[in-house]
Order: sequence, then C-alpha cells, then structure tokens
Amino acid sequence: MKYLSMDDRLAKNRFDSDDHNSHIIVDKTACNTCKHRGCTYCCPAERYKWDTMSDKLIFDHVGCLECGNCRLICERLKQGVEGYAWNYPVQGRGIIFREG
Amino acid sequence: MSEEKFQVIIIGAGVAGSAAAYTLAKAGREVLVVDKGRAPGAKNMTGGRLYTYALKELMPEEWAEAPLEREVTREIMMMMTPADSVAVDSTFGSVNQQSYTVLRARLDAWLAEKAEEAGAMMVPGSTVDGLIIRDGKVAGIKTGDEELEADLVISAEGANATVAERAGLIRPVELKDVAIGVKHVIKLSEEIINERFNTVSGKGAAVMCVGECSKGVSGGAFLYTNKDSISLGLVVDSQSWKNSRLPLADIAEELKRHPALARYIEGGDLVEYSAHLIPEGGFKSLPQLYADGFLLAGDAAGFVVNRGFTVRGMDYAMLSGIAAAETANEAIEAGVYSRSILKSYESRLQQRVLKDLALFRNSHDYITRTRHVYKTYPRLAADLMRNIYNVDGSPAKLVSGLVKKTISGRVPYFDVLKDMFKGGRSL
Repeated sequence: MKYLSMDDRLAKNRFDSDDHNSHIIVDKTACNTCKHRGCTYCCPAERYKWDTMSDKLIFDHVGCLECGNCRLICERLKQGVEGYAWNYPVQGRGIIFREG
Repeated sequence: MSEEKFQVIIIGAGVAGSAAAYTLAKAGREVLVVDKGRAPGAKNMTGGRLYTYALKELMPEEWAEAPLEREVTREIMMMMTPADSVAVDSTFGSVNQQSYTVLRARLDAWLAEKAEEAGAMMVPGSTVDGLIIRDGKVAGIKTGDEELEADLVISAEGANATVAERAGLIRPVELKDVAIGVKHVIKLSEEIINERFNTVSGKGAAVMCVGECSKGVSGGAFLYTNKDSISLGLVVDSQSWKNSRLPLADIAEELKRHPALARYIEGGDLVEYSAHLIPEGGFKSLPQLYADGFLLAGDAAGFVVNRGFTVRGMDYAMLSGIAAAETANEAIEAGVYSRSILKSYESRLQQRVLKDLALFRNSHDYITRTRHVYKTYPRLAADLMRNIYNVDGSPAKLVSGLVKKTISGRVPYFDVLKDMFKGGRSL
C-alpha cells in the first residue's frame, strides 16, 4: 500500500468538527518554554507542529482523533495550568468512528 | 420513570456501560446511559479481539447474533527486523468460538440497542461536564445545561476518565501507565482475505508482532482479519515513546510497508485511521473502584492485561459492567448507596478480573523494561533461522555452533536467561 500523508489518512475519517471552538486549549506562546515538545511527535494525528520559521507551536484541533495521548504527554495539559485545557468535544461533535 | 430522577445513570456506552445497562434494565431498573459520541460506539476503538466468554455470560441467548467479524482460529506470533521475520504460526482446530475479531462502531451500536430493547434509555451526543455531588455523595451528572439526578452513577467513561478524575474520585492516570494504539482499517474483499490467510469465511487470524514495527521501543504491532477488512495497528508504551523522540504517526504508517505485513494488505484501501489510549498499568495502578453513590467500570477502572501474546480488556469491561449492575441492584434493594454497601463490587470482581490483574501484576513492568525483547531478540531469532537455513557451500556447522555464532557478542547469556526467567514469572 502506498504511503499516505496525514491529510489523506484523516480524509478517510468522518468528523463533525466545531471549527471555531477547540476542545483542547494550548498557550502557543507559553509552549516556547517547553523542553521536550513531546506533542509534536507523539500525536498520532500530527495535530501539533513546530513552525521553525516563527519558532512557535502550531495546533489544529480539527482532525483530532481524541485519543488523549497529549493530555498525558504534556505536563501543562495534564495539570490544566492556566492557558491549557483538555476536554472531549461537546455533544457528539468531533471524531465519529464508523469502524472503530 | 419517576420524575427526573433515575435509579442509575451510566456514563459511556462502550462494552462496560452497555453490559451494565443491559443487566440493570433486565432487572427492571430505571437506567439512563449517556455517551459523548454521536451514536454508541462513535468514540470507541479496539485492536481488536473480543474473548467471547464474557459476552456469552452477559447474554447467553442473544450473543450469537452479535456483529462479530471472524472467529480467531489461527494465531501468529512474529518477530521482525527491518527486512526479515520469524513467526510461530498456530492453527487451532480444537478451539471453539473462544475469541472473535470485532469493530467497535458495530459491536457497541448493537450492544446499546440490546440494552435499549431491555428498557434502558440511551442518550448519545451527551458529553458529561461534571458530577452532582451532594454531602460527599455522587447524586447525578451535568451535561450541557442539564443536571440529571440518580441514586447511583456508574462511570464507564473510558481510558480518559476525566469526569471521575476531576470530581476527585480517582487519582489522575499517569503517562507511565498508558499505551497508545494507532490503527488502520483496510478494506479488502472477503474472498481475498480468505485466500491470503488460508481461511474460510467466518474464521480468521490474529497476528502479534514485536521488533522493527515499534523501532525497538516497548510495544508491538497487531493485525486482525475482519469480515471484509483488516485491522493493522501499532501499540506502544506512551512514556517509552515520549523518551524515544520518534515520530509516531510516521512509524505507524511505515508499518504498512514491512514486507512481512505488506503482503497481507496489498491492494487494500484505507477506510479509517484511528487512535486510542489503553490503560496498561495493571494491578499496581488500579484506582479506587467505588465511592458514595459511584462505581467505576471498564477502561476507566484500568481493567486491562497485556501479556504480549494476549491483550485483554473488553472481556474484563463486560464482566465489570455486569458486576457493577449486580452491585447496583443490591444497593437499590437495600435503598443504601454508600461505600459500605458498594464495596461488595470489589468482592464481585475479585474472583475473575482482579485475580487476573493481581497474577499479572508484573507484566506491565516486564513489557516496558525488558528492552532486548524489542530489538535484540527479534534480530537474534531472524539471524539464527537464517543461519540454520543457510546453504552456501561454506563449511557447515552444528546447530549448537550456529546458536553460539548468532548470540556471541550480541547479548550476555545471563541476560537471556534472566529475561526468560522473569518473563515466565511475569506474563
């Protein structure tokens, strides 16, 4: 099977995304002081990227598979410090697995 | 229903939640199930295989109609290096209906339907924001603008048990106690799957791989044959992966190209790409299983045992759902919902679920700390087999000589013995 980009992989899934309200909140400025940036390589959907041009985190909640790995990888999300929050999307929004 | 108060509210329509709901509804209880998914199963994912005894216990008559994919009659254990693989391929004609491959969107929808038919009320599309706690007792749930009251709340909310955590009822789950699973569901015709796995419709294979698939990090790959698709995925210890600094999404995609696996999925089409956490911490990381007006079941309680060759979670989830329902019944009959009566939940779980978890209390440590298993041993196995089968005209060697040649300088013999001994006592 040919190699699929993340966009191609996620395009196979069904989502009912709330484009404007993210269920995960991160403070991209504060993220600059993070030593490990684990989210950028531990997210199975590659929702977190480090933009080398602006030297800043880019995060897109649309396409999130809601596994919760980042909630534990990131100490700030885990502790829910100011500017960081991890929740499931409200009322049936987000990923809709058709296979599971 | 009595006005605006349920006897039991269950959070989560997964296998634990629906098993509890089904059991309670059959006993004539007023039970509400809320689930964050658009429909039951929409947020749920497994590798996956279900050991069917628990389903049979839940519904002795109806289980045969459940949307199970294929009965597993062939088990393959594989060790892989970048180019080579060695497998132990077992076919069990003597084993009957012990486990089936499943897809959760179908299984969970069906289970929820059965619970509903039995009289439970299902409200999907409801994310629980918090619990109502009155005088230290859980008295209901909050979802959206609504507050719903119940004598008892059963949390079967899954691996990310944020509701129970934030209410302070359990201590937060730790990174070291979870694994992350990533899965490709690949569509292939039923006939092609039958041919590739030398099987017939309704029967299939389970493959567990260790080695190159996880780049030497604690974890492994799995492959399960469904009716007309293949579930291929990767499960790795989250803490070890964070330490490895490897790109998870890329390694999960590379899996599809390993020669030992690529041949099975060739020509297939990806239909879904999913990910989920697995609470693998086991006995040592078990949370408090009950509180006043509250019980915890399934993944939320961490009822998972990973021994490498078998991974069990859904069967324990079902057993715990049944046990939670029986405990709820006892509490309802007594009209008492305090810890003193709910503690019988633990004794109900003792004989089956907790006994297994206690027995395999060291499996998680073994799996995450025995690093040779993921790199050195697969390489040794592949090299040894290659040496055994090698005929190139050079002077031949006895098997004992080949073993020595393969192992020598790669790993101390003592380590091999130690890992074997510890493995035998942990898995």
